Amino acid sequence: MTIENQNKLTIRDLKLWYGDFQALNGINLDIPSGKVTSFIGPSGCGKSTFLRCLNRMNDRINGCRLEGSILLEGSDIYDPQVDVVQLRTHIGMVFQKPNPFPKSIYENIAYAPRIHGMVNDGPEMDELVETALKKASIWDEVKDKLQQPGTALSGGQQQRLCIARTIAVQPDVILMDEPCSALDPIATAKIEELMDELKQDYTIVIVTHNMQQAARASDYTAYFYLGDLIEHGETSEIFTAPREQRTEDYITGRFG
Amino acid sequence: MNTHTVKRYEDELNLLKEKMLSMAGLVEKAVRRSMKSLLRQDIKRAQKVIDRDDAINALEVEIDEMTRSMLALRQPAAGDLRFIIATIKIVSDLERSGDLAESIAEFMLQTEEHPLTHTSTLESMSELVISQIHDALNSFAKSDLEAALRCIEGDKKINNLYKTIQRETLTYMMEDPRQISAGMIISNVAKNLERIGDHGVNIAEMAIYMVKGRDVRHINHKAARSMIDPEQD
Repeated sequence: MTIENQNKLTIRDLKLWYGDFQALNGINLDIPSGKVTSFIGPSGCGKSTFLRCLNRMNDRINGCRLEGSILLEGSDIYDPQVDVVQLRTHIGMVFQKPNPFPKSIYENIAYAPRIHGMVNDGPEMDELVETALKKASIWDEVKDKLQQPGTALSGGQQQRLCIARTIAVQPDVILMDEPCSALDPIATAKIEELMDELKQDYTIVIVTHNMQQAARASDYTAYFYLGDLIEHGETSEIFTAPREQRTEDYITGRFG
Repeated sequence: MNTHTVKRYEDELNLLKEKMLSMAGLVEKAVRRSMKSLLRQDIKRAQKVIDRDDAINALEVEIDEMTRSMLALRQPAAGDLRFIIATIKIVSDLERSGDLAESIAEFMLQTEEHPLTHTSTLESMSELVISQIHDALNSFAKSDLEAALRCIEGDKKINNLYKTIQRETLTYMMEDPRQISAGMIISNVAKNLERIGDHGVNIAEMAIYMVKGRDVRHINHKAARSMIDPEQD
């Protein structure tokens, strides 16, 4: 089985401009299905911009222009026919700062499935909420207080609640933009452990400034610099024997 | 290569390399001196080898302490990680080689009672092993891949000479039982040299790992050469 056959996302010659400034210079990357891929690179290298392209979060930014293609299992996500709201049920996003809705824990999970008409309220919804919370490894901590506000949870719990919320609409891909930067090491370890479990069912892409996190939690690593994809490969290779000197300099801390 | 943003880390890496190079220098000298003392009947020189083994052992402990703390505190990656891993492995090959040289020097002290005859093959083997260990240490010190490959390829010759010496010595001992004690010394010294050669190969293999990130252990030298050929450079 070759990697080509199992790619969830295929990105070809992706270029992006913010006004006159070109932020991405023709990125080619395949993101394998059922694996964790991490994007690393110094601030301003384009990794978050690139991540946001993957579920069209840049669409609404004024002056933002894009060329090239991003295929989700062969279909172009920038095709004019594509409904962006629908797309984001396939490609969910978890942000740097946990951002639960100012609603109960239960409602945080139930909200999206309800508006997408996935299931009706009642036992079916109860089951969906429970499954999502279980998959996000937070069920045991919240099962007795589902009606309490999500915002009352600790930071690490809130982040897992947000992951549960993303999972609730059964996406194919979960994008995570610095998901642990606001969390303590234990909460971080729980999220990393969770990623390892979730990759059985989902393709995960994570942007991180923490290189040890990329090394610990991802199967593939892509190093970005100044809008270019410098190197992409198996995480174990990138962190022991990268091919590019620029990658070497960055991950060993010789950068700049 | 650029320098580290964290200067203390950079200093530690440099200091570790310095310590490795001085340990390597001491070991090379010990091997050379021990054989010279044996072949030239030089007791003083033999005694020097024995006395200086403590310095080699002390460096081993210092280097181990440094690599331990760097692994724990610096989380080295890529080239730094490979350098530290290579160091951890090579340091024990160096220490063992130092012990083997010391043991050769101790055999020398026995030759007062049992003077050696028939040392010409041992002399050739000694020259090969000394250049073998020199190549091995250079491969690490200067990231010299050619020296590493030369070292790996050279081991066969050493092994062949070792077999020759065992055969010769056995013949001399059977011809003249008075030669048995001297023959045993030659046989043991040859065994030590053969092992030093093997440690040299280990060092060269780790140097290749350090430079190229490729593991060439337990494959033949042709495969090793093709694995590190500069086609990917």
